[in-house]
Amino acid sequence: MNPIEEFIFSFADDEHLIGQQHTEWIGVAPFLEEDLAFSSIGQDELGHAVLLYEVVLGLRETEATDEAIDALAYDRGASEYRSSHLVELATTDWAQALLRHWLYDTVEQFRWELVVGSSNTALAEIAIRVEREERFHRRHADALLDSLLASPVARPVLLAAFDSLTPFIANLLAPVAGETEAIAQGVVSASITTIAPLLEQRVADRFEQTLSITADISNSPGRDVRSDHFQTLMDRMREVIDYDPQAVW
Amino acid sequence: MPSVMSRTWESLEEFEAFLDDGGIVEVDDAMPDEYRQAVFAFIEMHANSELMGGLTERDWIPKTPGLRHKMSVLAKTQDEIGHGHLLYMVAADMGVKTRTEMLEDLFAGRSRFHNVFHYQAKTWGDQVAIAFLVDAAALASQQAVFKNCSYGPYRRILKRIISEEGFHMRLGEDRMMRIAQGTEKQRALFQDSLDRWFWPALQLFGPDSKPNDVLLKWHIKSERNEVLRSRWVQKFVPMLHSYGFTIPAPDLRYDEEAKQWDVGPIDWEPLKATLAQGGPDSARRIGEALDNWQRTAWVRSALESAPESGPEKTGNPSPVPA
Repeated sequence: MNPIEEFIFSFADDEHLIGQQHTEWIGVAPFLEEDLAFSSIGQDELGHAVLLYEVVLGLRETEATDEAIDALAYDRGASEYRSSHLVELATTDWAQALLRHWLYDTVEQFRWELVVGSSNTALAEIAIRVEREERFHRRHADALLDSLLASPVARPVLLAAFDSLTPFIANLLAPVAGETEAIAQGVVSASITTIAPLLEQRVADRFEQTLSITADISNSPGRDVRSDHFQTLMDRMREVIDYDPQAVW
Repeated sequence: MPSVMSRTWESLEEFEAFLDDGGIVEVDDAMPDEYRQAVFAFIEMHANSELMGGLTERDWIPKTPGLRHKMSVLAKTQDEIGHGHLLYMVAADMGVKTRTEMLEDLFAGRSRFHNVFHYQAKTWGDQVAIAFLVDAAALASQQAVFKNCSYGPYRRILKRIISEEGFHMRLGEDRMMRIAQGTEKQRALFQDSLDRWFWPALQLFGPDSKPNDVLLKWHIKSERNEVLRSRWVQKFVPMLHSYGFTIPAPDLRYDEEAKQWDVGPIDWEPLKATLAQGGPDSARRIGEALDNWQRTAWVRSALESAPESGPEKTGNPSPVPA
């Protein structure tokens, strides 16, 4: 795989799958405003995935038709995806979904900052554009957590949910295949691993917890290894596509 | 702008004369209790239907084929939930029940929602049939209410809802056309959906309006059920025929004299079953909604009792609890 493409896929696949996970919450969030907020955020993330897949198609000098985008989003083999295990995780627990939303969007902010001055001008423009949406995603998660963490009932539920996600952080921040070449070509300014201390500080500020990520990163499986959740998720996403592979829906 | 002054009427007759004269009732008016209850029940059922319709569609959203396609479908269902949100506010303002009471009645099976959402979307073809047939039926009903609705707050909300539902119907039509022009397998899938959804969609309009229907008398609805139903039949029967699909109505015939399609006798038993929460998917739909409502109760409870100092940490506005 082309290393720059591989680097872009690591971001695009994350955006795609976190958006996919958020779509599961429409109609079943704790209250109507949350139904709307979660699905709106999911829609934004799917839109960001489209933009990033378009960057890959740009590298290939291929027109970004719906079919070309969907081929990247749905038709690659499992070993070709570069998603993090955090976004592959299926959950029906709203506390876990909310904490994943906070964790993912906190890291996402730093990831976009790493490409805001990218030599790939399309990628740099996307980084500026998405921040207008991402700041609302973060405010949404933070506003809920501000209120819920102050509740003696909700706080332990949320902290337990956060603990259930910490094993996924090292994989999320482990070096991304292709990033050495991407750094050399100015596509990204630094390794994704540089986000670790920034996230540790955010976690300390938010949860009053000490989180040590750096040591775990070197022992983490890379993004070329799929988690146990991936195939179920892909089968669900492809159910209609697989029903009639010749069809245009 | 609606008046903030509360108006009163000496008698029901005087109130009805006001309505017959094209009068618009506002939330602060001292409306007769019979009218308040009738309007409230109508809006509550509409709100419930928007929400339950969203739940019917959500089963297939994660499986939508295509990224941009998924964004469109997600936006549609988001609109439906958003309509529910607006309608619950309009209903709650009438002072009969709070939003929480309405939702708890819905999830306990104590209040009604449209017959079509007592059925399960079993295939992607069903998802398209809902957007194509059901949304069109719902839109026709809403347009008939909007045209001359005597309750101002509902009429104003309907204006927005109708404009969005028009997009939904076009999305459904576009998806149906792709299937119609698609593979044999696609067409067979949609024909199967049509076989199962045609009658429930038609039954959504309800049996013929009774002569003493208060919804008509008080200008909440402006057209009779049978008129709306026939209009839907005249549009969809030829359209579906033109795409080569079969209407699952053995007695269907074209009345040359009346120049219109007649679907034959309508069996109203399935509709009655849904009104008694006895539709094919009523138990699962209501049971899952109740289970979810209960499993997330801790969130609502925590937000309701959250100290005011909570949001200071980030300066964010406090989220609005249910």
